[in-house]
Amino acid sequence: MLTIRHFTKSYKGGKKAVDDLSLVVERGDIYGFIGHNGAGKTTTIRAVVGVLDFEQGEIEIDGISIKKDPLACKAKLAYIPDNPDLYDHLTGIQYLNFIGDLFSVSGANRERLIGQYGDAFQLTASLGDLISSYSHGMKQKLAIISALIHEPKLLVLDEPFVGLDPKAAHTLKTIMADVCSRGSAIFFSTHVLDTAEKLCNKIAIIKGGRLIAHGKTEEVRGENSLEDVFMELIDHD
Amino acid sequence: MINVWRLTKLQLLSSFGLNKALHTKDSAQRRKALLLSIAMIAGILMIGAVSFGYSFMMAQSFEQLGRMDLLLAVMMAVTSLVGFFTTVYKASGVLFSYKDYDMIMSLPVKTSHVVASRVLQLYVMNLFFTLLVMLPAGAVYAIHVKPGVLFYLFFLLTLFFITLLPIIAATLVGTLISWVSSRFRASKILNMILTFAFIIILMLGSFTLNQGQQAIADVGAALGDMIFKVYPPASLYVDAVCSYRVSALLFFIAVSVLVFMLFSILLATRYKAIHTGLMTSRASRGYTMKPLQANSAFKALYLKELRRYFSSVNYVLNTGIGMVLLLMMSISLLFVSSEQLGTILDIPQLSDSLSTLSPLVISLFVVLSCTTACSISLEGNHLWILTSSPVPKPAIVFSKVAVNLTITLPITAVSWGLLAYTLHAGWMESILMLAVPVIYACYSALLGVMVNLKLPKLDWTSEVAAIKQSASVLVTMVIGVLTLAVPAVLFMLLPGMDGNLILLGYCILMAAVCAGMYRYIQINGERLFQKL
Repeated sequence: MLTIRHFTKSYKGGKKAVDDLSLVVERGDIYGFIGHNGAGKTTTIRAVVGVLDFEQGEIEIDGISIKKDPLACKAKLAYIPDNPDLYDHLTGIQYLNFIGDLFSVSGANRERLIGQYGDAFQLTASLGDLISSYSHGMKQKLAIISALIHEPKLLVLDEPFVGLDPKAAHTLKTIMADVCSRGSAIFFSTHVLDTAEKLCNKIAIIKGGRLIAHGKTEEVRGENSLEDVFMELIDHD
Repeated sequence: MINVWRLTKLQLLSSFGLNKALHTKDSAQRRKALLLSIAMIAGILMIGAVSFGYSFMMAQSFEQLGRMDLLLAVMMAVTSLVGFFTTVYKASGVLFSYKDYDMIMSLPVKTSHVVASRVLQLYVMNLFFTLLVMLPAGAVYAIHVKPGVLFYLFFLLTLFFITLLPIIAATLVGTLISWVSSRFRASKILNMILTFAFIIILMLGSFTLNQGQQAIADVGAALGDMIFKVYPPASLYVDAVCSYRVSALLFFIAVSVLVFMLFSILLATRYKAIHTGLMTSRASRGYTMKPLQANSAFKALYLKELRRYFSSVNYVLNTGIGMVLLLMMSISLLFVSSEQLGTILDIPQLSDSLSTLSPLVISLFVVLSCTTACSISLEGNHLWILTSSPVPKPAIVFSKVAVNLTITLPITAVSWGLLAYTLHAGWMESILMLAVPVIYACYSALLGVMVNLKLPKLDWTSEVAAIKQSASVLVTMVIGVLTLAVPAVLFMLLPGMDGNLILLGYCILMAAVCAGMYRYIQINGERLFQKL
């Protein structure tokens, strides 16, 4: 579903934010992307979803190059940044309808999915209010619903659990598992190692822009906890 | 007081991309900043030269009357009134609408100091204009009068206080409007209506005053009386600078500073309440799912952009004022004939050339109503929604152009109907009176969005910084006005040639330019968006 080959991103001045990163996310995968602050997670994610230009390497979504046909790729994926700023001047339902229009979701489908996910996140009653009146957590829930209503083949999420209350976090985990069981894939970054360990079937650890470990969760973790492995790799690799 | 300076410095560093230009390591950004600085310095020098020429011409009349002091009085009054008018409709935005409000207000800084720093931001914006008008006027005065050393000392000292009183007055009006609006549910709409109403009433009032004083305007003493009546601090200023009266100087400075301090302290007592009233959105929590209508991506983008426009008081006030003035002018001409207008303005041939000139006059208001020059910047932190969507980026750009045309074209058409009727325009003039502004509306909207794609300001904390203080808005405005000046100059250079023919030729040329810009966005829109 997602193939990253030798992806390298340098910023002005020659400093490499990400260096020769390669990984594959297959259908049904919940792929956790772990690293400390400034390791290159967000840079990689932004390149994957086509909002960041890059010079070296190749990124493909469902076999299509993000460089060559960005619109076709974007139609297949959904992205939620780490701190999703939404249009404060729109109501929740106007925002979801707007996203539905951009992704050409039929009226019937969007009604069904907004109703389904709105109820799951207990947000339906607030959808008529302006987003400016929403709390941080409500905005996060709205961003998640907007990512789900066009039934993407690949969900790319940057720190999706930040700001969610325990119930909403549990709902999101259930939805993630459900989405992947239906053939989609999820690639997400997180600092919550416990969640990653329980939720992901595959994990990649990035340090200083380089991938230092990746593969099936149980293989990366071995006999230890993910936290122990992460600390060991970050401190000594 | 050191905190006032710290907060003001923080705001000023983010204005005009100053801090970014100073600290960026990106050579392309630096080059862009350098080019912009050179263009701005060239623009400032040009305006300074025009200002000097204007003062020089006025000085000749005042010298004949033996009242050279009136030159400084007139220029000081003009600076103050322009400062007042331009501040009224941005005061509310600068004072209350900024993203880092929570962060700033949580700091161990007095609220009065926060208010003072916001007012000082408005002050600095106006200080540039004051210097551009007053420094050349002072130089012309010095050339003619050859005053003593005290003049230079007092003149330079007062320069920094001239704009303070009008700013406070305008901020007071802006605050009162915000305070009244904040008490109602539809606070934003009420804020817009009250501000527009205030500006219209003030303009109508000043028009009535001008008519009353017209007969005696050529007499020096009466002119002085009129200026001092319209703006009393001008009398104090002239006493201080031209007559070297220390008491007047001290009084002028003391009044300016005291009013500033008093305003900051008084507003501080209601500041949080007004901010909360203006910024709070009501939540009903009673929504139930209803049938949803699917639209095309373009229509969705257009509706989103239209809602964005009308949700921002600053955006509407700053870009809508041109259309309001155009409508006002068109309606008022129903009651004043072109011959009467020529007599009032002392231009006897005005009625003959008004029909030919009116397409350019209407176009000027259209150019002043460019909403696209800051439309990309206003996406700010929301830009990810558009960049990650599977929509061709030219469609996003054109949706912004479409909103601008929705604002300008209906009022242009109504004004065209009114003006064609009142000016008894012939068929050719009538066609040009509609065609030229319509082409300029397209030109200005396309130009604005193109410039904004090249000069975006996405990291603003107060949207006024994008709407009012961004390089993109400034560059678009200058290019727009310069393009309008071309046919006007052609009229003067080719007096024997039919004005309609010149306009028709220019119209075709501008239509071709619009087509070129449209094509450019179609081809390069994706790339330009990717660079943001």
